[in-house]
Amino acid sequence: MRTLARLFTGTALTVAAIGAFAAPAAYANNENDNDRGFQSLEVYPSSATPGETITVNTLACGKHGHGVGDANSLGAGEFQLESSTHKEVVVGQFRVPEHVKPGTYGISVACDNGKTARGDLTVKHRNPSGHVQTGVGGSVGPDSAQVTAGAAVLAAAAVGGVWLLRRRASGAQGH
Amino acid sequence: MSNRSKGWGIAVAACVGLWLVQNGSQDITPPVPSAAQAFAAGPSVHTDAAADPLPPSAPVRLRIPETDVDTPMMRLGLAANGTLDVPPAGDRNLAGWYGDGITPGAKGAAIVAGHVDNAQGPAVFYTLGALKKGHRIEVDRQDGRTAVFTVDAVEVYANEEFPDKKVYGETDRAEIRVITCGGGFSKKNGYQGNVVAFGHLIGVR
Repeated sequence: MRTLARLFTGTALTVAAIGAFAAPAAYANNENDNDRGFQSLEVYPSSATPGETITVNTLACGKHGHGVGDANSLGAGEFQLESSTHKEVVVGQFRVPEHVKPGTYGISVACDNGKTARGDLTVKHRNPSGHVQTGVGGSVGPDSAQVTAGAAVLAAAAVGGVWLLRRRASGAQGH
Repeated sequence: MSNRSKGWGIAVAACVGLWLVQNGSQDITPPVPSAAQAFAAGPSVHTDAAADPLPPSAPVRLRIPETDVDTPMMRLGLAANGTLDVPPAGDRNLAGWYGDGITPGAKGAAIVAGHVDNAQGPAVFYTLGALKKGHRIEVDRQDGRTAVFTVDAVEVYANEEFPDKKVYGETDRAEIRVITCGGGFSKKNGYQGNVVAFGHLIGVR
């Protein structure tokens, strides 16, 4: 039993190791695509905002291969995939257009060797950042109505004061 | 009435006049939300349950009945530095929404901005800081529906401490943010912060 368990563990490790060497984890995401004859396409970043540059790579085209990418689903046209310094993958780039609606878009690559690869790109809307500039202070200032009323009251008090003083003066004369 | 009491009356009037002039000379600034309207003070006594989000549709008009706001809506983009564009300052009754973001009523946080004032005086969101929890924000949409939001909180942030994630970040339900300037004004630096009203969808008409 223990040997059996060890055997299983060993096998699992070997499979994992082969998987790791043959393809980084991201390639394993689209195993179902392989069943339909597509190989997986690594899309980085897999979730992006308009204006961002997306890099895709795949093993499908083989060593020193070449492919043509199709990003028409989001209006980014076609792009070339060339073999990279990691000779076993081909790499290409495209830019997410500015006015793409948020959503998930399929990206496909047709290799010169006849194979195809597919992957998904999720476009998120870009959030604003920072505060807004929505005022210049044109509403900030003294309460002119109150100042006017105050001035009127002061003026009335002054007139009343003068009148009272003059009456007092004339009253004193009358005696 | 004796001359003495007339004299007193005039003295009191003079004092009142002086007070009016002095008090009225101090600057009036737009209303600032009180601490009771912040999230930290807890939810409103009566909080309506969230309504199911609507499919996206552009907003055409926004109303805040409690403060007599009734404004058309324009689409806003982002400035080169990533901040939200604002409506043209010349129009005192015009608000905008972030056109590449969530539309009011759809799932997520719809972003609305408008001026607190312009060079001529108060503008569309002058009274935003006077909103209270439970007040309603109504948005007419192109699809003919009206999304009704309730105010969850009204907060004020210093410009340099604006919480991007809290205001612009993703949410699980249909929400709205209404943003304007506020939080103190200096002639040298202008408004020192932003007032943000947070709301969530409670109904559709």
